[in-house]
Amino acid sequence: MAPLNPDGPRMIDLLPHIINGLTLGLLFALIALGFTLIVGVMEVINLAHGSLFAIGAYFALTVIAGSWFAGTPFGAWWLSLPLGLRYVLALAIGPALAGLAGMLLELCLRPTYGKPPLYGLLLTFGAALVIEELIRLVWGTGEQNLALPQAINGAFLLNGMIFSTYRFFAAGFSIAAIIAVWLFLERTSAGAVIKAGAHDSEMVRALGYDLARLRLVVFGFGAALAGLAGVVMVPIWGLRPHVGVDIVIPAFLIIVVGGVGSFWGAVIAALLVGLAIGITGAYAAAWSTMSMYLLLIAILGFRSRGLLGRKSALEH
Amino acid sequence: MISLSDIPARPSAWITPPMIALALLLLAAPDLLPAIGLYQYLGIEIAIWIGFALGFNLLFGYTGLHSFGHGAYLGIGAYAFGLFQHHVAVSLWGGLLAAVLAAGIAGALVGAFLSHRRGIYYALLTIGFGQIFWFLAMKLHRVTGGEDGLLGIPRPPLTLGPWQVSLTDNRALFYFAAALLMIVVVLCWRLANSPFGRVLQAIRQNETRARFVGYEVWRFKWAVFTLSTMIAGLAGSLLAMAQQSAYPDVMSLHQSGLIVMMVLVGGGLVSFWGPVLGVVFYFVARDVLGGLTETWLLWYGLIFMAMVMLRPEGLAGMLHDLLRRSRPRQPSAAPAPATEAV
Repeated sequence: MAPLNPDGPRMIDLLPHIINGLTLGLLFALIALGFTLIVGVMEVINLAHGSLFAIGAYFALTVIAGSWFAGTPFGAWWLSLPLGLRYVLALAIGPALAGLAGMLLELCLRPTYGKPPLYGLLLTFGAALVIEELIRLVWGTGEQNLALPQAINGAFLLNGMIFSTYRFFAAGFSIAAIIAVWLFLERTSAGAVIKAGAHDSEMVRALGYDLARLRLVVFGFGAALAGLAGVVMVPIWGLRPHVGVDIVIPAFLIIVVGGVGSFWGAVIAALLVGLAIGITGAYAAAWSTMSMYLLLIAILGFRSRGLLGRKSALEH
Repeated sequence: MISLSDIPARPSAWITPPMIALALLLLAAPDLLPAIGLYQYLGIEIAIWIGFALGFNLLFGYTGLHSFGHGAYLGIGAYAFGLFQHHVAVSLWGGLLAAVLAAGIAGALVGAFLSHRRGIYYALLTIGFGQIFWFLAMKLHRVTGGEDGLLGIPRPPLTLGPWQVSLTDNRALFYFAAALLMIVVVLCWRLANSPFGRVLQAIRQNETRARFVGYEVWRFKWAVFTLSTMIAGLAGSLLAMAQQSAYPDVMSLHQSGLIVMMVLVGGGLVSFWGPVLGVVFYFVARDVLGGLTETWLLWYGLIFMAMVMLRPEGLAGMLHDLLRRSRPRQPSAAPAPATEAV
């Protein structure tokens, strides 16, 4: 455990921790948004959401390193491509495959619709276990690193403090992605159907939309968001087979703190959790993940449906 | 789908035929296990986890409260037992009492916070508290030994008046664990089939209606949570004795999820005996599949997923169906299954 500084850090020393916390929060928000969409439309708590995050990140790893084709002419040609290009491809392929995995999971979930939410929770818990074991089988059990292009890797000095460039890239990327998701939900007709589905899926079906397809698409979309968050977050969070369970708990906690089904609630809660982790990290690094549970208990103690939550089917 | 309330019970009986069967199996287990290629220590593990699972199922199956952080109380029991031996006295009964009380107090405090919640919020808070206890066990290095665990926990001898029996031998410890397990079985059976148990089932079927009928629902939720944590604490103390150490990993979300999986696969949602089947299935699968393949958890996870999708009533439900199908002519004495409110 890190020794406590008797004077406590000065405000200015806290700045890097606040920035780290906000970055973490923005990335959490990206995962939580997919999570909250799935909860809203299907009323399923997807405990495998973190595993989809892991799938996105691991496929990105494979795309960047080209390790499955090592030794073949294709592998050599692939590695001759610039790292920047491979990274951009990874940013597209990782989430896409995570989205496909999400759709597969949705097919498995179909027998549980119309039953208590417990069944969806249990099924996705089993799926998380299975995916983790599959990852161990395919990618090995060790901790791995994602190679980053030079442009976003490295550090710079500002006011005598060192900042990691990558954190700024990740934060900017998440802000852009969050805004894109918001625009998609608010400004397109497909987004309107998804929002309507989250509000009252029976009514959407009555209006003639194919509910089964809507659920498949939403699950795939949410899973792709998780995969995207995975690719971007892994250089900060680390990549190991267990990463899915490590990340699903904060994501789950965030949507409950923010209020199940609320877009901005999830974003605000994610920033709060990120800040709590970042600032506790400044004082007592070993205890930083503890702070989010205390935040959860404090907030649910006063607002039983979270910050911006409304009554939902999940209470039964 | 059948439910717990539909399986005819003999509520007045203290001892039922399945209990006698279980007791006989436990009696024979130390000789039976080596005979089928397994080992004696497995029996201790199974006995401990069955006790834990039965207590957990009072909460999970009977009351419909989904705790995903129950491993924490098993761990608290184990640490309390070990710390009592290290710092207070080397005493079996003292250690057991300390474990039950420590887990019970932690459970009572957490339960007070949880019991006004329902559904997914309840489940989430149990995860939150479970993680806090797990985290404390990992980080309070000076008390718990952190990740290395609390080592060197003795197995104190069993003293009953003038008699003293050493428990250092695995066979002796197994019989002691089995005896405690039978007490837990009888206790859980009586509770599940008491008026108290009926209220718990009413809460599962429809909490709002149970409240309107006039029950102070949160008191029942609190009581059953605390009780199940005390049983978990007892199981934890036995675990500490069996391993002669206590580790934080039983408190992790992973392990807390495993107990949920065991109870569900066994059929805890439809039968009192479901958790027993589930625990035995898990440990035998671990040893048999684990011997064949490194990735046995993958297969167990797939079996579990298939079970949730196709047969959520678990092994006990399948057995029940099988028995009913094998005697089709028997006039059905039981009334038509009550439709269950969801």
